[in-house]
Amino acid sequence: MPLLGDDRRNQEIRRFPILAYALVPLAALVLQAWLPRVMGRFAWFDLPLVVTVYFALDRRSPIQGTLMGAAMGLFEDAFSNHAIGINGVAKTVAGFLAASIGVRIDVENHTIRLVLNFLLSLLSSGIVVFVSRFLLGLELEWRWYTALFAAIGNSLIAVVLFPLLDRLQIRD
Amino acid sequence: MESFFVRYRNIVVLLAILLAQIIGLAVQVRRTADGRSTLDTHDGPGVRLIRLWAQALVSPPELLIHASKMGSKGLWQNYVDLRNVRQQNQDLQKTIDRLRLEQAALLEDAKQGQRLQALANFQQKYVYQTVAAQAIGSSGSEQSHVFYIDKGSADGLSLDDAVITPDGIVGKVREVFPRTAQVLAVNDQTSGAGVILETTRIRGILRGNAAGRLEIVDILADKRIQKGEVVLTGGGDQIFPRGLPVGVVENVVQDPERDSFIDVIIAPAAHLDRLDEVLVITSTQARFSPEQQQDLATSEALKGSEAAAIKEQKKASEIMAERLPGLIDPNLPPDQQPLHDSSNPTTVAHPPVALHPDRFTPGNAPGAVPDATSAGKPDSNAPAEGDAATQPKAQKPAMKPGSAQSTPVGKPASPAGKPASRPAQPKQTGPQTGKPPQNGQPGENN
Repeated sequence: MPLLGDDRRNQEIRRFPILAYALVPLAALVLQAWLPRVMGRFAWFDLPLVVTVYFALDRRSPIQGTLMGAAMGLFEDAFSNHAIGINGVAKTVAGFLAASIGVRIDVENHTIRLVLNFLLSLLSSGIVVFVSRFLLGLELEWRWYTALFAAIGNSLIAVVLFPLLDRLQIRD
Repeated sequence: MESFFVRYRNIVVLLAILLAQIIGLAVQVRRTADGRSTLDTHDGPGVRLIRLWAQALVSPPELLIHASKMGSKGLWQNYVDLRNVRQQNQDLQKTIDRLRLEQAALLEDAKQGQRLQALANFQQKYVYQTVAAQAIGSSGSEQSHVFYIDKGSADGLSLDDAVITPDGIVGKVREVFPRTAQVLAVNDQTSGAGVILETTRIRGILRGNAAGRLEIVDILADKRIQKGEVVLTGGGDQIFPRGLPVGVVENVVQDPERDSFIDVIIAPAAHLDRLDEVLVITSTQARFSPEQQQDLATSEALKGSEAAAIKEQKKASEIMAERLPGLIDPNLPPDQQPLHDSSNPTTVAHPPVALHPDRFTPGNAPGAVPDATSAGKPDSNAPAEGDAATQPKAQKPAMKPGSAQSTPVGKPASPAGKPASRPAQPKQTGPQTGKPPQNGQPGENN
């Protein structure tokens, strides 16, 4: 299977019902807030980031990916006690990059999905640390292996979740 | 110009959104006097509004999930899993009775402490009113140890209210919304609480580290701090009342940045990772709450009734003792005492009569002439009766053969040689109970 998409696929923009745009991110936010209470410290995943990457890849619009990432990140910040905007910046960049990459590659390939989620998760964690510690000068202790575990968790979730979300697409 | 924005609209939108967020971040961060950057303890109006919107969007599904979970859990616990409840209830009732008695004593001490504090012009705050709440959600981020509860300002919650469980402290209310509230857990990096070590009385500041563990920072190295020592709230932070359990010392490590300081790792008393129900302290007062006062009255009533019951038992035993024949009648000779049982069918084994008596024969020893009149009198060689230290020596004459012949078995030969079965004699305490006198002073062991 070629990793780079052909011209027809590059022009293809997947569409979803309006409710999917509203309910899937909301469900991701709710589960992200609820599951850590059940799983404790083993909640190594970031569902809003996974959903952001999915919609950015499938919509193939950097602007929409940017807006989606910004919205999800700001919501995540709003639930925390951190400054609002730290996750917003990280997921904005992640959404933009995912959409930009999605234009050029085959987004239905599982390997690409896995690797892309892994790399974007690491990038997002790195941006959070960069903004917190270097841009804002906050004393934020950080553990690299937690970011690594979260990236692995996101990748595995994406492999399972993306085919399920594909079923929500509007087929012509 | 128009073509530039059209051509680079993606990157322009990205930069515009990033710039807006960075400006927003810059507004939220401020510089402290020592040059460090920090966030405001409480959010500004704009930030709070964003948090309120986000919470308003997410809290209804969270509440729905939580209600479903609690419903199924309650169905199981209230209707299915009720085995052994009756026995547990009885055990708990016994525990409550015992604790009430103990509480009575403790509250007496607390009352006295209050009076002394009033004299010293120091007001100790007591937990006066609490609101039970359920944890419904979390921040979703490992770097942010906050969670949300299903009670808000409509339920009387306010900023900086302490949040506890019966096991220990949990955190404080950081943000209050109408129906929900955000709680900052004590294991967050930005939290802080004044604590004191129970035995060493060393004070410190409790905070969370990157791993979400509790640690006490800014204390000098001290070898007295041992693993397992209990940590309590110090009461100096104006949030947590004094004396609430925090946890126990799990480890002591060197401060990586300062040589003379240590970090004390604490195992939290409350299960911070799995919180379901919490109590929010909405009011602290310098007096007992009505519930505590009611418990005190109940405890005192129970204590009074128990004392009355003991008094009744003593009185009944005294009446019985008066009505029953006495075991010892001082007016009767020993062989006519009620304790003397002449119905004993056991024949007394007298020594056989010697064929050739000599001076070793019982009754022939000099000075051992049987004298019936000396049976009830103290031996002249015996020590004074009250001299408990020499009492064991005084029992030896009772074994004298001459006395044994003239005195029936079980009858004491002399007051000093009374058998241990005579409890009515008041000064036979030390040696007869088998307890040696304390400190070598006879008669002080009671």
